[in-house]
Amino acid sequence: MHIDARTLPNGSVLEADLCIVGAGAAGISMALEWIGSRHKVLLLEGGGLDYETAMQDLYRGESVGLPYYPLQAARLHYFGGTTGHWAGFCSTLDPIDFEKREWVPHSGWPIRREQLDPFYARAQPLLELGPYEYGADDWQRRDPTLVPLPLDPRVMWTKIWQFSPPTRFGARYRAAVIAAPNVHLYTHANVCELVANESLQSIEGLRVRTLDGKEHRARARYYVLACCSIQNARLLLASNRRTPAGLGNAYDLVGRFFMEHIEIPTGNLALAPSHAAHTKMYALEFGRTKARGELALSAAVQREQRILNATVSLEPGGPDEVAQSTFQWGTPDRLAAMRERDAHGDAGPPAEPPPARAPLFFHLMTRQEQAPNPASRVLLSPERDALDMPRAKLDWRLTALDRRSFRAFYEVMGRELGRRGAGRVRLLDWVTRDEDPWPSTLSGGWHHMGTTRMHENPRLGVVDANCRVHGLGNLYVAGASVYPTGGAANPTLTLVAVSLRLSDHLKRTLA
Amino acid sequence: MNRRRFLGVSAASALAGLVGSTRGASANVAIDLEALAQPALLSIIGPKTVHTIGLRYRARVPAESDVRALHAAILTARPWPASVAGLVEQDFAIGRTIVLQGWVVSVTEARQCALFSLLSD
Repeated sequence: MHIDARTLPNGSVLEADLCIVGAGAAGISMALEWIGSRHKVLLLEGGGLDYETAMQDLYRGESVGLPYYPLQAARLHYFGGTTGHWAGFCSTLDPIDFEKREWVPHSGWPIRREQLDPFYARAQPLLELGPYEYGADDWQRRDPTLVPLPLDPRVMWTKIWQFSPPTRFGARYRAAVIAAPNVHLYTHANVCELVANESLQSIEGLRVRTLDGKEHRARARYYVLACCSIQNARLLLASNRRTPAGLGNAYDLVGRFFMEHIEIPTGNLALAPSHAAHTKMYALEFGRTKARGELALSAAVQREQRILNATVSLEPGGPDEVAQSTFQWGTPDRLAAMRERDAHGDAGPPAEPPPARAPLFFHLMTRQEQAPNPASRVLLSPERDALDMPRAKLDWRLTALDRRSFRAFYEVMGRELGRRGAGRVRLLDWVTRDEDPWPSTLSGGWHHMGTTRMHENPRLGVVDANCRVHGLGNLYVAGASVYPTGGAANPTLTLVAVSLRLSDHLKRTLA
Repeated sequence: MNRRRFLGVSAASALAGLVGSTRGASANVAIDLEALAQPALLSIIGPKTVHTIGLRYRARVPAESDVRALHAAILTARPWPASVAGLVEQDFAIGRTIVLQGWVVSVTEARQCALFSLLSD
């Protein structure tokens, strides 16, 4: 069922077994799991069913670190969340991403990749992806014209990405959620505070406000924050009535370790004409391509070079063209126009036909994990929003390891492609100048991760391996904010998988 | 140095005993010399970029900024594979690479680019 919280009498009390705060990919994935169960579920969404400027303004915030995208444009605040404008790129994290790597401070998940595999498999259909197969050979078997470059797997490999249509969770799952008798969706229900008991060991309830001045309470046996990395941290930090540092923050970790994927044009590839047949494997036609390859370094080379994980896409272009970064290309205006077209079922301008001849020159776009960094963080701003909540303040910072990893990756890739006679790699100027500031093309992928990181030790993480906030018996966190490291894969597939895992845990707990 | 003069130098080099200094490298040094100035890289990144890389290499390694030195440097490589292409592959395999104008190239092909640039200077 669906109720607009603005229509409730002021001071209403909403009660359930489980309360999920936030109806984006994580929150909706979890809610769908509970449809038909004997438990009552509250799904609280701050926005409405569609985009509203006033709701979006609640996400406005400061940025005081490296240049960053406007926060109110980076995330969407309505039912479906940021899947309302995502591009649908999906891949799994690699096994090495879960390991503690001694050259990457603060790395290591308390779970292994194989523990997540069954949940990745369950996440695939939710995102309307193909089979849970991420090997280049799997896709070559389906389509023999998809031929990966001849790489030595001890050095490099072709990492497969699958493409969601992209699934707009709001449109795709609205009917199912609203029709579910045991899932109560409240829209325009902004949670402004988590209220803990006196001993700070559990959550007693939530303060829920609407923009028209009403305040309600929500109570449940268990609570899940699924608001996205910046908002999860903001809400915990702002819930400081009983403890000045905010909830879950006994060791000053909430909001720290904010991570992005560093997405930036890094070089070029001139493919040898003899390898022109390999280009289809790496090509992307939006809306048509089901899977494509990107280039990645093996775990062994990452260990040897002591660098971060990354993946590189091949974008056809001319030698004299200057490639744009993700932020440069995806301006807020452009994203808004795309969202508008999407909302009206307009597919937009027709895609350009593929070139008659296979391209041989490519811009190389890197998506590299960011080293976990406690100084890269989300804080509270002194400014307050229309609901009297402190706004978020983002201080995005990178490290020398982030910078050095680019050059090492490209030099290894240049040697391997050269050795194989596949082509030659060119590094852009900024890559060769480690001591210089980051270039103006520095960009993230709108991937916010890590502000409530997962670790078994409460001194080192905000949540445990089951995503429960340390010290609070009934509060959990879902979404990419729990990632201790972000790997090189876009976060959505993994965050849905982690949310499904959390859902299973809560089902066992409630049973 | 134009192409005609370059080839003249090549032949003279061979006659002057340059072959002797690279004994064991190749039995066809004089022929190879002409071929050496045409790196396989030409078909991948084109003559303009090959020329620029060549200039950069000569600026980076001034001691190899003439035909004889480049010729000798390429042909003294050990172990000597079956072909220049093999030598380039070997360079990449053992990390004997150099970044010039941003391009990751093998040292052998960087020297070939330098030879190429000498031809058209």
